[in-house]
Amino acid sequence: MMPSRSGGRSGSRDRDGKPSQRKKFFVRRRKVCKFCAEKLEYVDWKDVKLLQSFIPERGKILPRRISGTCALHQRKLQTAIKRARFVALLPYATD
Amino acid sequence: MRLYDIVVLVTPDLTDEDAQKALGDYRRILADGGAEFVKDESWGRRRLAFPIGRKRDAFYHHFQVKAEPALVSETERRLKLSDQIVRHLAVRADEELKRSAKMAVRIAKKTARRPPRPPASPEAAAARAAAAEAPAEMPERSES
Repeated sequence: MMPSRSGGRSGSRDRDGKPSQRKKFFVRRRKVCKFCAEKLEYVDWKDVKLLQSFIPERGKILPRRISGTCALHQRKLQTAIKRARFVALLPYATD
Repeated sequence: MRLYDIVVLVTPDLTDEDAQKALGDYRRILADGGAEFVKDESWGRRRLAFPIGRKRDAFYHHFQVKAEPALVSETERRLKLSDQIVRHLAVRADEELKRSAKMAVRIAKKTARRPPRPPASPEAAAARAAAAEAPAEMPERSES
């Protein structure tokens, strides 16, 4: 406790005036898997509206690290998108 | 008997009626084979996400049937042969649904096991928030 506080004092805390919030620049909102939150266990490949929300402009599948989808649902989502692509409901690529 | 989702894309070169007639053939094949229709709905003429065989749109139709695997593979074979069908996809749906139903039960159980906490949680959360605030304030106070 003591050494860290003295370190904070010698740092730039006097300029900000908020020593306790030095490390947190901004609070990131915690991402939650959409399917878990809405309790959608089955990812329907015929539901274009739902799938479209996981397809950015380029037509690629939105990665998990961005959408926050859990591993299980990302896997299901992946097959659903690929099936939808086959029947031309979704594009493989757009430019 | 298994549950299947079958989506069929019919050529846009046909009129609405002819497209329905073409679909009727497959409906008959399925029905004659002892399939049970759960869903039989037309999505109408839709724009394709990308051109397939120079075609930019197609009549979409969705069948959800309970049928024997052999019947579905026979229907698929005929769909493949027809040149009025731009594309089709038949996918088994019951396994997925069963698995997801199982998952739903498991999640329900998990949440059911938790309840003892929730009634106390508003207070506990408040206490925790107070506890979280306190240490943050304490050093400030001691410093000033």
